[in-house]
Amino acid sequence: MVALARQLDTSFVDGSSCEKIEATMVRVKSRYLLCEINVSDRRELLKLDDRAVAGTVKAAVARTHGDYGAALCSIRFCVKYLNAHTGIVFLRFPKGCYKLLWSALPFITSIECRGQIIPCFLNCLHVGGTIRTCQKFLIRYNTQQLHRMLPKCKNEEEKRQIQKAILSFSLTGGGNKALEDELESEEEDGE
Amino acid sequence: MSVFMDLNVLFSADRSRMQSLVETAAHLGFSTVAINYVFEPTTKKKQEVPSPVPISELIGQLPVVQGRSRPIKVLNRLTVVMSEASHFRPNATEYRAFDLLAIQPTTEKLFHTTCMLCDVDIICISVTEKLPFFFKRAPINGAIDRGVVFEVSYASALRDSTMRRYTIANAVCLMESCKGKNVIVSSAAEKALELRGPYDIVNLGALFGLSDADSKEAVSSTCRAVLLHAETRKTASGIVYTRISQQEALQDCVGSRFFHIHESDHSTGKG
Repeated sequence: MVALARQLDTSFVDGSSCEKIEATMVRVKSRYLLCEINVSDRRELLKLDDRAVAGTVKAAVARTHGDYGAALCSIRFCVKYLNAHTGIVFLRFPKGCYKLLWSALPFITSIECRGQIIPCFLNCLHVGGTIRTCQKFLIRYNTQQLHRMLPKCKNEEEKRQIQKAILSFSLTGGGNKALEDELESEEEDGE
Repeated sequence: MSVFMDLNVLFSADRSRMQSLVETAAHLGFSTVAINYVFEPTTKKKQEVPSPVPISELIGQLPVVQGRSRPIKVLNRLTVVMSEASHFRPNATEYRAFDLLAIQPTTEKLFHTTCMLCDVDIICISVTEKLPFFFKRAPINGAIDRGVVFEVSYASALRDSTMRRYTIANAVCLMESCKGKNVIVSSAAEKALELRGPYDIVNLGALFGLSDADSKEAVSSTCRAVLLHAETRKTASGIVYTRISQQEALQDCVGSRFFHIHESDHSTGKG
């Protein structure tokens, strides 16, 4: 995916002529868009899968920007991560044309998955150059969401669970899993 | 962090729908939302200007804005669709109940009168039909000098492909004439699913022909300028402010905050 071939440049400077062997830094750069899928009914989120989302985005880009957009979308676009419980999705676009493809995302009004049409919209939260930066942002964002949910807790037990989850965040996989369970159980109670 | 506002959210009598609209707006990060009552007078029968439902009746508990610690502000706005010059009566008493006033002109002569003379805050550019008139620099510059802004709304573009073409065509025409100044982009959302996040709208502005900086201004600082302009309509030259003592608490704090701001920012030239 990321080809890192780096040759340091060796520049010869001698009296009469300067010869520089150009550095060739080849790193394929992409932009990762962190989007949140908003639906009116949370249970519908669980029916989503990443191929449905990818198909919807490609169709929307084709509708808005025609063949040119569809061609750009086929370069390096894919859905890197989809969390059906919270509706978070990471989309990868090539760096040169991500703004054009991003401008087609507001026109998505529904996602079709396994024959069912789920009305929703995509809200972009963050644009990052790597998945790691997006993940860091997502952890901060999820912490904020838990803080927002804290006043809505109905009993002490849930409150303590949320506070424990907030304190135990880390960049490794363990924290995120606990977060997803919390969010899922809280959504059903706090609604 | 800048303050994002959505100044056009259509009013509907369904209370749960308004509630979910305001909650979605708060979740997306909008600090202020204006509920729009559209009034279309016809010459056939005398129609009453609708009076706004008080905010506390419409939405119970105002939700907290995402990323901030304040609850969302909800204002009232009236849009008059004008097809004749007699439709809009300046200084009418019914207009005082609304925080923002907007006009949607349908002919070129009316557009000229609205830009130069009428005492409004927002001029709506219709997006559901191909504009029957072209924009001229003179009235637009006159409007910009007075502090009136032009509004483009995007909800109809989300519904239908032909509407999308009209929206983009009209918006691009407007941007050419006004060079990207004094423009706001808002949703004319009827449902919670027709709202879009502020950064998505900033990107949509790039489709309309705005530069990046202008596009972000269209959702944040120009909207704030509109609110300040609306406040000055209620004051006498922006200095003296009178209010009835038994007003709702929300309108009190809106009024006093803008009063303080306006006193100190009187030289910004936008009021």
